[in-house]
Amino acid sequence: MAAITPSRLASLTRLRCSLFQTSYNPTSIRTGAKYLRSRLVGPSMVNYYPETLTVAQLREWSGYKWDLIDQQEVQRLEDIGFKKARGKGTPKKAKTPGDSRRAGKRR
Amino acid sequence: MGPKPNARILRDISAREMVKQNEVARRAYLYVARNQALPPQVRYQAQLQLNNFHIRTRPSCVRNRCTESGKGRGIINEFGLSRFQFRLKALAGELPGVKKASW
Repeated sequence: MAAITPSRLASLTRLRCSLFQTSYNPTSIRTGAKYLRSRLVGPSMVNYYPETLTVAQLREWSGYKWDLIDQQEVQRLEDIGFKKARGKGTPKKAKTPGDSRRAGKRR
Repeated sequence: MGPKPNARILRDISAREMVKQNEVARRAYLYVARNQALPPQVRYQAQLQLNNFHIRTRPSCVRNRCTESGKGRGIINEFGLSRFQFRLKALAGELPGVKKASW
């Protein structure tokens, strides 16, 4: 029985590829096809968190006609007001690097 | 209606939006950059373009957080809940088919 030459084997592979509609890639180089083949994940990623309805959204939706009060937000602002009155508010933002509280610190 | 989202959830939502918006362009550049049949100069340029995208456009930047509490660790992905929120909901009977094991 005669030995089968590599060229004959290659032509067999090429024929097989044309029959089964696969790409002929004898050297197995990376074509990057997998990046085109895989599905897009973005659309399903966006739907992970359930829709939330906030008071601000409702007001915007009504064209600012409904007089809705966000009780949590009112409470938050009230608490901040009390803290500020007792001198426990957040420090002022530094206008220049010299004003920064970090400037006095030793490194 | 879930709870008020915290900053980390908002960051994650923005990352998800950005991934969706830039996904097709990123895929195209990835195809060019990883294709060994193309000249190295072209592949290199494509890789540079990939590096120019904002970090939040990378799908790996997105992390599944708890949809109830916003926690980032100990998430049971099947329910999208952290392990404690999962326990609370399961005991309250809000997760269909979930039952406390006992034997």
